[in-house]
Amino acid sequence: MSDMAFFDLAARQASWLAARQSVIAGNVANAHTPGFKAKDLKSFEDALARTQLTLAATSPAHLGAQDAASRIGDAREIVGWETHYSGNSVSLEQQMSLAGDTSRRHALNLGLSKAFHRMYLAGVKG
Amino acid sequence: MFDPLNAAMRVATSGLQAQSARLRVVSENIANAESTSSTPGGDPYIRKTLSFHSELDRAAGVSMVRAGDTGTDDAPFRLDRDPGNPAADSSGMVKRPNVDVLVEMADMREANRGYQANLQVIKQSRDMLSLTIDLLRSN
Repeated sequence: MSDMAFFDLAARQASWLAARQSVIAGNVANAHTPGFKAKDLKSFEDALARTQLTLAATSPAHLGAQDAASRIGDAREIVGWETHYSGNSVSLEQQMSLAGDTSRRHALNLGLSKAFHRMYLAGVKG
Repeated sequence: MFDPLNAAMRVATSGLQAQSARLRVVSENIANAESTSSTPGGDPYIRKTLSFHSELDRAAGVSMVRAGDTGTDDAPFRLDRDPGNPAADSSGMVKRPNVDVLVEMADMREANRGYQANLQVIKQSRDMLSLTIDLLRSN
């Protein structure tokens, strides 16, 4: 199914972007929580390299399945643009720029998916 | 199924709730900035404070925010000499609340900014969701 590789990749990136959006939402919601450290996901390239070969999770008790929840759980602390004296390292400006970046990449991803879909349909319809 | 975009909106909603609780406390403080005691020499209104706590939503693995219980500011009261005031003690001093309106205004602005940022996150997550749904539309 190598011709479907694009859709697989696009779906993975969409799920990574959605997970990232919820991490950003957590940062923004906690922008005024004392001691809260800003977090972000590992880069998509890293996530992709790690999920090339995954074990099938056949039971909910299995570990290692790379679903969105475990991906969010992997979020690590980032260096914020500013650290408040309460120990909070969330900078709203930084988070807004991250969120903008996420939604732009998501729009690009979906636009490309749509274009590929149209291409397939054109092939099918003739 | 767990959906991270919905989780993002839920988290941002918890942020909206926390910021509006903060705004409520600020408005209580400003409204009572001059509230003196009803008994002579008694304590006036004490400034209320609110603290936020981060709360992990285990199902989604995201950090929600929760406004904790309101506390009180233990800063000293302002003392004015105003013998005609019903709240004045035997030496004519009136205790005024330890509310600094400027601090409250700054706090209000910050709450406002936090609220806007959370709204922006909701808007963006909603746009991402609706873009995804748009894939289903015939093109």
